[in-house]
Amino acid sequence: MPETAVLSVDRVTKNFGGIHAIQNITFEVQAGEVLGLMGPNGAGKTTLLNIIAGTYSPSSGRVNFCGRDITGLPAHKLCHLGIARTYQIPQPFTSLSARQNILVAAKYGGKKTAGMEHDKIFDLVNLSEQKDMLTRDLATVSLKRLELARALASNPTLILLDEIAAGSSDRELPRILGIIEEIRKMGKTVVLVEHVMKVMVEAVDRIIVIDKGEKIAEGTPGEVMKDEKVLAAYFG
Amino acid sequence: MKIPRLTTLASVVVLVVLALFPLIGAPLSWLNYLFSFFIYLALATMWNLLAGYTGLICLCPHAFVGLAAYTMAIGTWVGMPFQVGLIAGAAVAAIFALVISFPVFRMKGIYFAIGTLVLPEVLKQWFNYWRPPFGTEYQGGGAGYSVIGLAGFSLGNKYWLALAIAAASIFVVHIILRARLGLGLTAIRDNENTAASSGVNIFRLKLSSFLIAAFIMGIAGAAYFIHNPKIQPSGGFSISWLLLPLMATVIGGEGREEGPIIGAAIVTFLRFLLADYGAWSLFIQGIILIVVVVAMPQGIAGLLRQVGAYRFPQRLFQAAEGKIRRT
Repeated sequence: MPETAVLSVDRVTKNFGGIHAIQNITFEVQAGEVLGLMGPNGAGKTTLLNIIAGTYSPSSGRVNFCGRDITGLPAHKLCHLGIARTYQIPQPFTSLSARQNILVAAKYGGKKTAGMEHDKIFDLVNLSEQKDMLTRDLATVSLKRLELARALASNPTLILLDEIAAGSSDRELPRILGIIEEIRKMGKTVVLVEHVMKVMVEAVDRIIVIDKGEKIAEGTPGEVMKDEKVLAAYFG
Repeated sequence: MKIPRLTTLASVVVLVVLALFPLIGAPLSWLNYLFSFFIYLALATMWNLLAGYTGLICLCPHAFVGLAAYTMAIGTWVGMPFQVGLIAGAAVAAIFALVISFPVFRMKGIYFAIGTLVLPEVLKQWFNYWRPPFGTEYQGGGAGYSVIGLAGFSLGNKYWLALAIAAASIFVVHIILRARLGLGLTAIRDNENTAASSGVNIFRLKLSSFLIAAFIMGIAGAAYFIHNPKIQPSGGFSISWLLLPLMATVIGGEGREEGPIIGAAIVTFLRFLLADYGAWSLFIQGIILIVVVVAMPQGIAGLLRQVGAYRFPQRLFQAAEGKIRRT
């Protein structure tokens, strides 16, 4: 039985002036899958996430979400449909407490069905003790977890994680892998951009490698790591 | 910070005392000063809603004031009671806000500010050259009008009207901040991108806030012209309608509920104190503004919070509440 993909990106191109940030990229993500986006700096990974999340609209190509064409829809509408994202550099609401940050996504996320209880979300991302602190007083590590918590609070179908493990310590890393595993267990679909190889190898079902805006490889972590094009892109 | 319930009671008491002033024979000059204070307070509270809570540096309150006042004035000439004119004026201000929202909301930050700044100038010029009907009755340069049908509406009545408008404006902001809208507005102010990706429809929320502010600024401005019932383009669209709420908000404390109250009191006081010094008054007000911005960027309300000036009354109120509960 052919399943409809949760996300399907069809020949998407994005130009900024004369620069081709993304060229003709096509891929699908199935329900419950954890897909990794990999590539050297400036390859276009975050641009691709921005297109899926509605921050940019593509110059050409289509994006489908759960069988619905979402190309060019604004970010808030995509959130209502069930796409949540985190930012590479944490972007909290600084004058609000961690709890209120979550509340924004929960109240405006636009879901009729209630998602996880907020306390459970805080437990999951290990922020319970800091939930009443103003986010401007939180450390970067906590802010990264808050990004996750906020993404979960709108009860999404698809979560886009942008370098959620970057800059985290060896002690922190297993916890993040654990969180990604928990999110997968909830039946959510994940697309993650990551430089930390351990995350790519351990948490991801399938990897897509992008270089200079083009898809150069796709496959399981094991396959991709042996791919000649990938090795060339990374090591020259 | 949890607000003790007695604070609500205290505000009601202040409101009642203020409302009693015309009845207990307060001097007319007091009523005049307080009338201006209430109008400035309503304007400043709304300006604070936009600048302090929505992140919109709106430089066109004089457009809302002028349009509302003109609508009311012209309304009274075609047989509208001025009370109806007041509401109609506010509605016209809100409709104007709705129309301009489509172009100006495409601009952000300082561009939004400049975009809004030119609008009242355009309106002022237009009204300058406009020769409305009722050609025999109009007076003054440009489209000068007087508001008619005000006989029997005493200073006391005007005072109550202004008080009601000021109280309503504060109440509206108080409610908004504690509702879903307030949370969304704060989110937008803090970070538009994150707000959007959390499902906040930025355009719609900003528009709600903008329309509410335009309506109440319109009603407050028009109410001023009930007390001073002659309107000309230079007065209706005067930049003072922008500078007064702006100064009051910045001096009092932007993004604080009590900011505009403190600021409007100071601005009103200065305005009457410096009334005899003409251009010097602007100079002095400008210097005060600069000093405040440099020395206490959070305004007076921010400074009070910083030094913990609220702690004592808060504790007092809480203690009193405890006592009431026990008896």
